[in-house]
Amino acid sequence: MQQAAIHNFLEQFFKANECELIENKNGLLKVKLTVELDKLLTNRPFYWHYIEKTGGVPETMTLTLKTEPAEDKDGELIHFGSPRLHQIFRAAKQLSPYIRLYQETDTKGRFTPLVPWLCINSKVSCQCDLKKDDLLSLGLNLMNGAIVEGFHAHLKQMPLTPKIPDYCYTLTPMIKPVSGLKRLEHFIEGKIKEEDHQWAKQAKMRWQKDLQLLDQFYENETDEDVLNAYIKEKEALKEQYEPKVIVQMINGGLFYLDQSTFL
Amino acid sequence: MDNMSPEIVFHRSWYEEFLSKIDTDGPWANWDMYKLAYEAEKQLIVPSFHGLIAPEQLPNLKLLPHQVETAQTVIEKMHGKAILADEVGLGKTIEAGLIMKEYMIRGLAKKILILVPASLVLQWASELNSKFYIPAVPQRKSYVWEQCDVVISSIDTAKRSPHKDIISKQNYDLIVIDEAHKLKNHKTKNYQFVQSLKKKFCLLLTATPVQNRLDELFYLVSLLKPGYLGNADSFAQDYRSGKNDIKNEEKLRELINQVMVRNRRKDTQMNWPKRIVESVEIPLSNEERDLYDSLNQLKEASFIQGFSLLTLQREACSSREAVYMTLKKMLENADEHSMMADYIQPIMDKIQNINRNSKAEKALELIKKINDKVIIFTEYRATQLYLQWFLQQNGISSVPFRGGFKRSKKDWMKTLFQNNAQVLIATEAGGEGINLQFCHHIINYDLPWNPMRIEQRIGRVHRLGQEHDVYIYNFATKNTVEEHILRLLYDKIHLFENVIGELDDILTRLDIKNLDKQIAAIFEESESAGEIKIKMDNLTSVINSERDHIEEDKGNAASGYS
Repeated sequence: MQQAAIHNFLEQFFKANECELIENKNGLLKVKLTVELDKLLTNRPFYWHYIEKTGGVPETMTLTLKTEPAEDKDGELIHFGSPRLHQIFRAAKQLSPYIRLYQETDTKGRFTPLVPWLCINSKVSCQCDLKKDDLLSLGLNLMNGAIVEGFHAHLKQMPLTPKIPDYCYTLTPMIKPVSGLKRLEHFIEGKIKEEDHQWAKQAKMRWQKDLQLLDQFYENETDEDVLNAYIKEKEALKEQYEPKVIVQMINGGLFYLDQSTFL
Repeated sequence: MDNMSPEIVFHRSWYEEFLSKIDTDGPWANWDMYKLAYEAEKQLIVPSFHGLIAPEQLPNLKLLPHQVETAQTVIEKMHGKAILADEVGLGKTIEAGLIMKEYMIRGLAKKILILVPASLVLQWASELNSKFYIPAVPQRKSYVWEQCDVVISSIDTAKRSPHKDIISKQNYDLIVIDEAHKLKNHKTKNYQFVQSLKKKFCLLLTATPVQNRLDELFYLVSLLKPGYLGNADSFAQDYRSGKNDIKNEEKLRELINQVMVRNRRKDTQMNWPKRIVESVEIPLSNEERDLYDSLNQLKEASFIQGFSLLTLQREACSSREAVYMTLKKMLENADEHSMMADYIQPIMDKIQNINRNSKAEKALELIKKINDKVIIFTEYRATQLYLQWFLQQNGISSVPFRGGFKRSKKDWMKTLFQNNAQVLIATEAGGEGINLQFCHHIINYDLPWNPMRIEQRIGRVHRLGQEHDVYIYNFATKNTVEEHILRLLYDKIHLFENVIGELDDILTRLDIKNLDKQIAAIFEESESAGEIKIKMDNLTSVINSERDHIEEDKGNAASGYS
């Protein structure tokens, strides 16, 4: 992630939280935090506990962040590896797990139905002693069961609003969200099974090989402590090599879209 | 285990809350924040099994090619279980930190235990925090084990209760052990403690190559990967011939290279500063010579064995103070009726007669000429104290340095040396973990007989970050035991210019276990100076011819072992 992209991200992040940007130029970002962000970012639970107990007036902190190294300016230098940026990444995720939005559409004054879609953004990780991730964004049409991949990228292009627009009404889903989630899981499973799992086979072979060596090493042992070590080592090998695909949610929600979308 | 596709695990905790949000109609996230969260995740994913992504997140850390390569090899080829055995000064800590960081970023390691000598706990904590942004915490309170993910402790603390029991309940993903050569004896509590830990990923760091000692090698590797070298019996059968010899060496070496990374200076393709070595021969004054020669009488009178004579002689070459301390102790421990006092008293008188120290004078002259920071290494405390006094008398500021100092005192002495003093006077083992790259002159006031110790001395300054050529001055008093040693190790084997790893290979091939003991044996067992010389020449030529063989082998098989 380039420094300019980081700066842009930070700016968006604080704006989305309605923080006041006191200064924002030449790689310097000075922001007055909101109460919500102060609690997430400044790590002072005792202060907030005190304020809430005593009913005092809170004073939130001001962060000064630098995205360009400049000796003459004070502030915390932010780069891709800096703990602050990762904290903000985590905060963004924490602040937005569930969403519901409506497409703004040109109704021309006529009553217009909006179709419910269930969207999940997930991270799919292949893991053994090595690991790689992939993002999977899926949208499920809760009327007809159609599934669209790369859903998030489509959504980003649309005008969306948290309040249902005038003249629009929502269709009642044919598929309940809870079964929608099952359908999406099923779809993900199918997709994963189609993929090449050479990596998993190789990991199992490594596992098997180390397991054999371990068995030989302990084969004549009878001492209890030593056998406990054997059990631990065996568990360790499982943790080290066992191939797994892990699916984790990033965020998701309900989107009510115009019928013509995805036709 | 079957050959079907891997198990698929869904983390479903998200679902439930989502459904309840639908029921309660929110609250819902803000669209901009929602998009940012997805964007953040996109930045954080690791799209490939291969390669390292940690360096990208460490823009302020200057990583060297061999360090990056090592981290990648350990993760991809050794599957996260490895012995890191780089030569001193090549950055093993950096390699370990990089591997740790990579596993943390990939989400393969969360709980990490780092076991290091007590004196290095704080240094590790500071390096991991400042260089790698790894929030590593020195263990001081017992809740730290459970509440912190990355914990640094000494083995001595960790193996005691109540810590031991708490640790065994933690599910560590990665265990890092510094100075792992201290775990060579499988009967010790430390070894058994480490053995009892569950090791998913494990790094053992050592600067001492383990190839020389078959047993130590076996037990160290078995800690890492039990069964990799077979069990104790099958290992002995496969690789041991006779009492100490190795057989099937090529095969063993190949196996070891798959669990051990050993970078050497010469392989790093970096422009290391040169080592410029100068031997300084110092004639003894008449009084000093008189003392040195008189020590022989003790052996002739059978009060001491050959080895003790050698010790006394080496001390006499260092300073009259050093030899005085030992003689005094001998007197104190002597039997009342012993005639020893009659022999020792005249020697004590000779010590009294000495009014100057030729070596110290030479050192003073050299320090004035260098007119820059200098480290003096001596083997003896008494010499260290004397030198400090002597330099002070001559207007040169110096600070002492010993292995026994507490960490904070070591750091303080280092700072004093860097900012306020011209000379640092260190005794043996003073240097573990201390880096003195700002200095590039070393005086070996007396020489250890173990070449590894010499390498560790030089490694304090000839390491990453040294920008100047390093000057090494080896002192030896003329016509004494020191001169023999200097000739052998340092003029004939060219130990200083050559990288120690090479000598190590040679000694392994020749199966010379302890060069220092071999040399000591020559001195003890020889009847005359002539015999000593012949035996030493013999040893030299054996070593040098083996080196030639190794060079030839390397020429023949350009891609030998790594």
